[in-house]
Amino acid sequence: MSTDNQHYVSVRALSKSFEEQHVFENLDFDIAKGEFVTLLGPSGCGKSTLLRCLAGLEQPDTGSISVDGVDITRAKAQKRGIGMVFQSYALFPNMTVTENIAFGLKMQRVAASEIASRVERGVALVELQGNEKKYPHQLSGGQKQRVALARALVTEPRILLLDEPLSALDARIRRSLREQIREIQKDLHLTTVFVTHDQEEAMTISDRIFLMSKGKIVQKATPDEIYLNPINEFAARFIGSYNLLTRDQARDVLGFETTCGLIAVRPESIYIAQDGGLYPPSCSRPVKAVIDSHQLLGNVIRYRARLAGDLFLTVDVMNRSSSRLVEPGAEVSLLFNMAEIRPLSE
Amino acid sequence: MQPKTGAMIYHKTVIILTALILGMPIAATVLYSFATNWGPTILPDGLTLKWFETLLAEPRFLMALGRSLLICFATLLFSTLLVLPMVFAVFYYFPRLKDVMEVIIILPFAVPPVVSSVGLLQLFAGDPVPIVGTPWILIGTYFTITVPFMYRALANGLEGINLKDLIDAAHLLGANTFTAFMRCILPNLNRALLASLFISFSFLMGEFVFANILVGTRFETLQIYLYTKRMTSGHLNAAIVTTYFFLTLALTWAAMYLSRPRTEKPVEDE
Repeated sequence: MSTDNQHYVSVRALSKSFEEQHVFENLDFDIAKGEFVTLLGPSGCGKSTLLRCLAGLEQPDTGSISVDGVDITRAKAQKRGIGMVFQSYALFPNMTVTENIAFGLKMQRVAASEIASRVERGVALVELQGNEKKYPHQLSGGQKQRVALARALVTEPRILLLDEPLSALDARIRRSLREQIREIQKDLHLTTVFVTHDQEEAMTISDRIFLMSKGKIVQKATPDEIYLNPINEFAARFIGSYNLLTRDQARDVLGFETTCGLIAVRPESIYIAQDGGLYPPSCSRPVKAVIDSHQLLGNVIRYRARLAGDLFLTVDVMNRSSSRLVEPGAEVSLLFNMAEIRPLSE
Repeated sequence: MQPKTGAMIYHKTVIILTALILGMPIAATVLYSFATNWGPTILPDGLTLKWFETLLAEPRFLMALGRSLLICFATLLFSTLLVLPMVFAVFYYFPRLKDVMEVIIILPFAVPPVVSSVGLLQLFAGDPVPIVGTPWILIGTYFTITVPFMYRALANGLEGINLKDLIDAAHLLGANTFTAFMRCILPNLNRALLASLFISFSFLMGEFVFANILVGTRFETLQIYLYTKRMTSGHLNAAIVTTYFFLTLALTWAAMYLSRPRTEKPVEDE
């Protein structure tokens, strides 16, 4: 039995608890075939345990998981046809790169000649030619994780699970491997679930993000949608450096009336008014503020501005040579782009 | 920085003196085993191999050596078959038992052999398991001595790898737990296992107290043979000790060689 591709992976009412403690509760979601989904959330939100349940390394208490229309909730990990990459690499220390990559194929009793050619393709896919005879302890972190990726990919899994695969690597390697993973995933049209606590990583790599908090999926949306329309305070705080104003502050400062408890204003939706500057017509009237401090983030300058009533706001300005740096202590006028203000539900 | 010459002379003197004090009896014993006659002179009158020839032609010595080897190998085989799965079970399924194990493995050393052998004598003298005086009681007792060595070495080996993730990875690649253990975990413990086996072996070959009290001459091991020969030729005794000493030295060296740390460095991410 096969279902349509939109519901390739289908999870229903899935719950799991450890010793009376709910890890996650009553999760429902679908993943389309070939989709790259990221489970994003702070540590302890249940994302890794959810991934391990998909892999069959943990058993959920209740609920069901099906892949391609077949229920696999109680199937053994080795029968699921799921590949996984671990944060700790989990390469077998006693095996060379070739032997590591070939292990899954040997377990599947693939013919020796075919193993050789598939391993060769796997090595080429992750660009590790020339390292076939090395042992894991002779490889760098980035190389190890690419071996682990190749080891999972050569078995041609139906789903690829990535459990914080980049967290142990340094920033530069993390970015390049991230792009490599995404390219390979697109080429193979591979259904992939990626776990991370890094929102930037999630934003750049995913088709869809499942934002998790305290064992619940808070928001399921594309990176764009999640960034522009965070569904609640948690999402706004976790995703960006949103400014959050209470209903009263919104009314007093901006004259913005709402029934919601909080409103979110992105730092780049606030402008520091300059003579002759051109601003969107949807901007508010000028609001007086004092610059408290600034931070250079490369292409962006991030200001902290103090408003009346000791309200501090973050304001991002593109770092153009034409716009001069505003020194701390300077009095400025802030313009809010009212069209980009988001009231948040509780 | 180079230390002052005075201090260096002092350090070297201390080290050489210590080495002399430790090495002298061994050197004397080895020399005595090769000596024709060594009476009131500083050095022996001449050198000969006849003590070793006598020893190796002595069936009682060869039998004793054979018995010692038999008991050692039986013990080590028994220990390996029992301890290996036990350590894996503790680390993989019941990590909470690690603390309990740390206490248990001290027990064989906490009770002096003379005390525990008296207890064992009473326990195994009659029914239901009358094995006093047979090699079986020695194998059982020696097992309790090898457990701490093996557990400690294997536990260190397992601490050094990411057991849970490795087994998980093997499972996802299609291996069952037994295959995962045999092919992905055990090969990484080879060196630890071998090192602990060699250490245990040299310890057991030299064991005397348990062998003497529990079995004695009813199943004469190497150490018991040496003991019964203590009143006869000193040269022959020296030959026995020399043989035993070099056997143990070789095995201890092998154990240290196997447990030396790996030195290759990983490459940097480019």
